[in-house]
Amino acid sequence: MGHPAIESLGVMTTQTPPADAPLLQMQGIDKSFPGVQALHDVALQVRVGEVHALVGENGAGKSTLMRILGGVHQRDRGEILWHGRPLEIRSPLEARAHGISIIHQELNQVPGLSVAENIFLGREPRRALVWVDWTQMRLRATRLLADLGLSIDPRRRLGTLSVAEQQLVEIAKALSSEAELVIMDEPTAALTIEETQRLFGFIRDLRTRGVAIIYITHRLEEVFSIADRVTVLRDGQYVSTTAVADMTLDELIRLMVGRRLTEKFPKETVAPGEAVLEVRGLTRAGVFEDVSFVVHHGEILGIAGLIGSGKTEVAHAVFGADPIDRGEIYLDGRRVAIPSPSAAIALGIGLVTEDRKRLGLILQMSVRANITLPVIRTLAPAVFIRRRREQALVAQAIRDLHMAVTSPEQLARNLSGGTQQKAVVAKWLQTHARVLLLAEPTRGIDVGAKVEMYRLMVDLARRGVGIVMISSEMPEILGMSDRILVMHDGRITAEFPRERATQEAILASASGRPPSAV
Amino acid sequence: MRRGVLAGAVLLVVAALPLYAAAPSTVGLSISTLNNPFFVDLRDGAQAQAAKAKVPLTVLDAQNDAAREASQIEDLIQKKVAVIAINPTDSNAIVPVIKKVNAAKIPVITVDRGANGGQVAAHIASDNVAGGVMAAGYVGKRLNGKGNVVMLEGIAGTSAARDRGKGFRDGLKKYPGIKLVAVQTADFDRAKGLTVMENILQAQKKIDAVFAQNDEMALGAIKAIEAAKRQKEIFVVGFDATADALAAVKGGAMAATIAQQPKEMGRLAVEAALKLIRKQPVAKFTPVPLKLVTKDTLK
Amino acid sequence: MRFDRAVVHAALGHLSLTPIRNVLRRFGIAIAFVLLMAILAVLSPPFATASNLFNIARQVSINAILAAGMTFVILTAGIDLSVGSVLAYSGAIMAGVLVSSLPLLVGIGAGLALGALLGLLNGVIITRGKVQPFIATLAMLTMARGATLVYTDGRPITGLPDAFVWLGEGDLGWIPVPVVIMGVVFLAGHLILTQTVLGRYVYAIGGNEEAARLSGVNVTVYKTLVYGISGLLAAVSAIILTARLNSAQPTAGSGYELDAIAAVVLGGTTLAGGEGSIGGTLLGAFIIGVINNGLNLLNVSAFYQQVVKGAVILLAVLLDRRLR
Repeated sequence: MGHPAIESLGVMTTQTPPADAPLLQMQGIDKSFPGVQALHDVALQVRVGEVHALVGENGAGKSTLMRILGGVHQRDRGEILWHGRPLEIRSPLEARAHGISIIHQELNQVPGLSVAENIFLGREPRRALVWVDWTQMRLRATRLLADLGLSIDPRRRLGTLSVAEQQLVEIAKALSSEAELVIMDEPTAALTIEETQRLFGFIRDLRTRGVAIIYITHRLEEVFSIADRVTVLRDGQYVSTTAVADMTLDELIRLMVGRRLTEKFPKETVAPGEAVLEVRGLTRAGVFEDVSFVVHHGEILGIAGLIGSGKTEVAHAVFGADPIDRGEIYLDGRRVAIPSPSAAIALGIGLVTEDRKRLGLILQMSVRANITLPVIRTLAPAVFIRRRREQALVAQAIRDLHMAVTSPEQLARNLSGGTQQKAVVAKWLQTHARVLLLAEPTRGIDVGAKVEMYRLMVDLARRGVGIVMISSEMPEILGMSDRILVMHDGRITAEFPRERATQEAILASASGRPPSAV
Repeated sequence: MRRGVLAGAVLLVVAALPLYAAAPSTVGLSISTLNNPFFVDLRDGAQAQAAKAKVPLTVLDAQNDAAREASQIEDLIQKKVAVIAINPTDSNAIVPVIKKVNAAKIPVITVDRGANGGQVAAHIASDNVAGGVMAAGYVGKRLNGKGNVVMLEGIAGTSAARDRGKGFRDGLKKYPGIKLVAVQTADFDRAKGLTVMENILQAQKKIDAVFAQNDEMALGAIKAIEAAKRQKEIFVVGFDATADALAAVKGGAMAATIAQQPKEMGRLAVEAALKLIRKQPVAKFTPVPLKLVTKDTLK
Repeated sequence: MRFDRAVVHAALGHLSLTPIRNVLRRFGIAIAFVLLMAILAVLSPPFATASNLFNIARQVSINAILAAGMTFVILTAGIDLSVGSVLAYSGAIMAGVLVSSLPLLVGIGAGLALGALLGLLNGVIITRGKVQPFIATLAMLTMARGATLVYTDGRPITGLPDAFVWLGEGDLGWIPVPVVIMGVVFLAGHLILTQTVLGRYVYAIGGNEEAARLSGVNVTVYKTLVYGISGLLAAVSAIILTARLNSAQPTAGSGYELDAIAAVVLGGTTLAGGEGSIGGTLLGAFIIGVINNGLNLLNVSAFYQQVVKGAVILLAVLLDRRLR
């Protein structure tokens, strides 16, 4: 379309397709949006039956490149060769028809429909053209799920599944269309360690069947455990493509950020002070049972556990967002009742929620309004909000946290993931919280922003804030915590001091195996 | 105390008994809406006549909802009342219901609004076309056959609006010097009568008379005219002669209104029902007399 | 070479289009309004006179004040269908108190208190009873209308004191009193929404109720309050309507909730909550008022009026969405 040079090239190559052509070749791809050059001269080459990781910080252009491949966007310039022949992908439908399948980061699913209906949405097996062939559909769905090692009843409503299970259903859906190339955009973001392992097993299985996979992730460890080659993008430009076996994690990070990060975990050892938060026998029937722990001033307490272990729910309960059935909470030695989040805030507790878009921010409000929401009452001593004081506070927070915003009035929904997370943390800096509960504080944000988040935690700890960090990411649990609690099935199953914690020991406790096995 | 409760209970039972026992001679009256003083008067007239004749009367309010009216009348059939008088919300929608009543062999009377089918033993209504002609006659004479006239119409598509409008236009044909300068709907509603008249006053610099198809709109229009300080040049004629309108005529704010006589209509409906119960002959159509009401006739 | 041209093109497009787009985006509905005014001014000479414009403002005031309350409710992602009935009931109580020759302020106070109370009741049912706003306020619509009919026995209440009637018909200087009341309501509403904690919370609750709760917003209290405001403003509208008609009508205000919702949405507030402004609502109310007035001035027949009114509202919204 409007590229005579490429079309003539196409005619040429159609005659003699190279015998050992890679499956996919993208060359010289440019794409600009009004005011932004999103991609400039980007290349990507994927071979048949390889797992190809695509990494880069947020805004590096990974998503844009994949949207071009998926037919969502049209490139401005450059060529796409598929089996060595030029290919035009004008719509997502065309992409699918060519055998390119995308598993989205945000699930495109209908929670009210059954698992089977979701898998075959839009291409239901039919009888006599109009009737859905339910038996056939259920059978094929069962087989697909079994292939993935899942024992999910295809008749169950999708909404009743856990997020991780929904993710796996989405993967099953993509695989059911018999793709030659599967694009996975952060597929493990919501998966437990076990589920991740199962997914990896499946990816290897696909590879042996000759299916190629483009694997996008922020968890760089995963690149080394699953990928064959890795392509790095930075600021919309192509940086490199390397065999994974030939590089180290540090090199990969350096390629991504363009500088060497001296330390990934800037943890400092602090001498913990008095106990700031103590929880005794906290119980919410059916969710968690008899949870007790202490956090000291200046301490970072890590809580590890799989999805469904109750670790996030404990944080919500301490914050007064969920009711508790039994248990006592002490702050600086005084027993307190926390019936609501506003009570928790008044007592100096802050909660950085796991899902910042759904629970942490009000996306259609400005950065300013989001940051000051917990303290806005104190900014309006009489009737009206003191606009100047509010702006000063916000400007200070933006400076302190190095937030990448065009102005304090920028809407929260237009920020990158890392900046959004900083905005959530900035809220609790305003309240001068004594205790900060952080749930998955670095989920879905890029490496640079992760390190900044860790620095922030260290800084807060130095100022005497007691931090509870709830995380499913093993490296940050190990790298950032002074002490580590492990939860399984609603109970605390183990506690490790920083020095004695190992990945294996934590994993064992998290999966409920007796500590003696460690 | 306990005796009081007992006495109350006995009283209740006794009060309820005749209602049930005397059901065969009960008259059912289904009214399209009691949101309108006109139909409240109609009900009062019917109740007065029923009390006088010592006939139990069950009054139901359909709240301008044809479906509700249908189910209420079905209930009346189940109660086995002797006669059902219906003031339909809609002349067409009521037909299947009337056929059901016919099938139950209960005589039907229609009041104010007619039915477009089914067997109706008696129809009691004022003649809206004649009323429109009457209003035109009054306007024509008072203006000596020359001037600009505005008409405020009722809810578009209702038979009352159609008939009164037709009568008024027909009546004006006798006065070729009178021009109908604006015809706008105000939905039989006082608040709308006010705003629509305000707007017409902006557009029309010379108006001599206003005919509103009911008193509610007329009273709204009078508010607008008074606010514009044009009451000296414009007189208003309404329709229905509700209590508010009669007070306005008495006070001189409204020139005239066409008196439908809702109480009389209710009375005649119950009277016709009694005749049907006693198997006496009843006229197919009983026109309820209309009256031109002016300050003079009120004396 | 090709590349350079593309960059230049992109840059130019960015520079030249964006400011105009921004203006259109912010003032889309205002442009629709000005367009509508211009068309009517050409079609009907009496339209653009000062007396007609004041006439429109006076007529608009009732719907505009209802819509102001509705803006608060819709900003929290709720809806209040009961405003028309609450208006009727408050008006009836006001008139009832006034005709029993109690002082003016007692009558008005009783009406306003009733309106606020019914609104708060809506709020409590929605927040404590966990009933959908649509259903809760639909029930209130029916109950308040019924209560009005019981109280008035289906007849208008007339014979109100002159001082009260002045609130609907009088002028302050050269501005009609209802227009002054409308101005005060909208100024207060604008200040509350933009400058106070309540306003901030309204947007937060509508934007993301759970996130607001986790930020320490007492969602139950503030949502209840918002329905109270809507009820109170319905009662303020009742003052104007009752005074203008010099009587309380049992059927007053039926169907008004839809005009109020239309004004809010025309004004750019989304039914999903969290986004919008009360200034837009004022504009929306004026668009509806101007259409009604224009159709009367042009002597359009009753059958066509409804078609034209619906079409103009749709066109205005489409124009606004297209410009965004």
